[in-house]
Amino acid sequence: MLTKDLIGLIAEASGLSKKDAEQLLSTMNAIVREYLMAGKAIQLQGLGVLEIKERASRVIVHPRTGERTTIPSKNQLVFRPVANMKDELKNA
Amino acid sequence: MAEKLSWTELRKALATRAGVSEKTAGVFLSALTAQLTEGLRGDKQVKINGLGTFKLQAVAPRKSVNVSTGEEIVIEGYNKVVFSPEAGVKELVEKQPTVSSMATDPIEGDFPVDPIKKLGEQADEIVGLLADLGQDPNKAEKVEEEPVTTPEPEPVVVEEPEPVIVAEPEPVVVEEPEPVVVAEPEPVVVAEPIKEEKPKEPKKPKKYHFVRDLLICVVVLLLLLVGGYFLIRNKLSGWLESLMQPQPQQTEQVEEAVVEPVETEEPASLESLIPEGEIPQKQILDEFMAISNDTEMEEAPYSDLITTEEMHEGSRLTWMAKRFYGDKRFWPYLYDANRDRIVNPSNIEVGTPIRVPRLTQEQMDTTNHASMEVLDKLRIEAEAACKK
Repeated sequence: MLTKDLIGLIAEASGLSKKDAEQLLSTMNAIVREYLMAGKAIQLQGLGVLEIKERASRVIVHPRTGERTTIPSKNQLVFRPVANMKDELKNA
Repeated sequence: MAEKLSWTELRKALATRAGVSEKTAGVFLSALTAQLTEGLRGDKQVKINGLGTFKLQAVAPRKSVNVSTGEEIVIEGYNKVVFSPEAGVKELVEKQPTVSSMATDPIEGDFPVDPIKKLGEQADEIVGLLADLGQDPNKAEKVEEEPVTTPEPEPVVVEEPEPVIVAEPEPVVVEEPEPVVVAEPEPVVVAEPIKEEKPKEPKKPKKYHFVRDLLICVVVLLLLLVGGYFLIRNKLSGWLESLMQPQPQQTEQVEEAVVEPVETEEPASLESLIPEGEIPQKQILDEFMAISNDTEMEEAPYSDLITTEEMHEGSRLTWMAKRFYGDKRFWPYLYDANRDRIVNPSNIEVGTPIRVPRLTQEQMDTTNHASMEVLDKLRIEAEAACKK
């Protein structure tokens, strides 16, 4: 499902116009991005949490040269679904 | 994750940002979640432009073993929801250094933001300082030149204290008050308007100059003192040795002075001194003998050797002392027993045979005051030799 379809469906379900729905969606995205940039997690009720997690730095070994290099830690945006949704979709 | 943007907060933010009522925002958001779930169930994928894609990912069934029974079991496949952020969002998240340190140490979480600024400020400061230092000589010259043009030497002296006080607040406070304050003393002291520009700048460097010069002077003085001290001590110890060595001969020589015509110069001179006459001098020398007897008595028994060992790569006198005497503190004895072979005790040539003398109980007794004093003396001598 693409954004366009989603907007159509949201508009249908909420009684908003497609234009409004689109505008709200993009505004929400902007807000979400802003908060993510501030290092905050975002709770989406009934869905889950969008949060930033750190991937630990690790050492890799070059198989041929045996050279060791450290891959620095980095942030990753992960989605942690709510248990309810997780179970619901488990066997979908 | 320390902080979380809650659902209500998101709703409020959305309402104010989009200019709609909170209720509308709430309706929209709940519709969004509902449709998302539906979309995941149906299409297994929902894409939201500007954020990313929610996907339903299938996890294949896998075999496992029941830990308690050892039975093989199959863990059935299931679906899990994953979110892959859009490239822009991903980048945005990866750029943050804050969270990575927050995850490892929540206490230090606040710092990473500041240090970056601080580092930037520091860089600016350093650049500023370097610039100041770089201009230093020029400005200093200018300052020196100025008094030559003006007949009054006073302005320079007067300028120093006043501007320094003014100069300090300058960078902190806005630049505006600067000309006002500086302008006041200047017309009084110096008449020339050209100077107004120059003195302003040199003030700071001048202060630096004085502090730096003072420091340099102190350091140089200290070095000189230390150097002088060692020089004098070396000379004194050399003189003492030269006094001590000839003395045992001297007693013999007094008796059979004429029998030994072949003599080194030193004893000869001593001989000439002593017979010439003054008893007090002799007494002084005898006293020296008495003092030096301690060392000489102990230097003598070095004939009794435990072994002779060749110096090998990486060996140290201290280690040998530790090995043979059980304590590295006794290394000066090793040096003392091998003075003829060792120039610098801290850098002995590989292959040098080192005589390891047997030490008496007394010498090895660390509680014995006299022997420790002797050891200390030897150590100081040896350390002096290190510096040669």
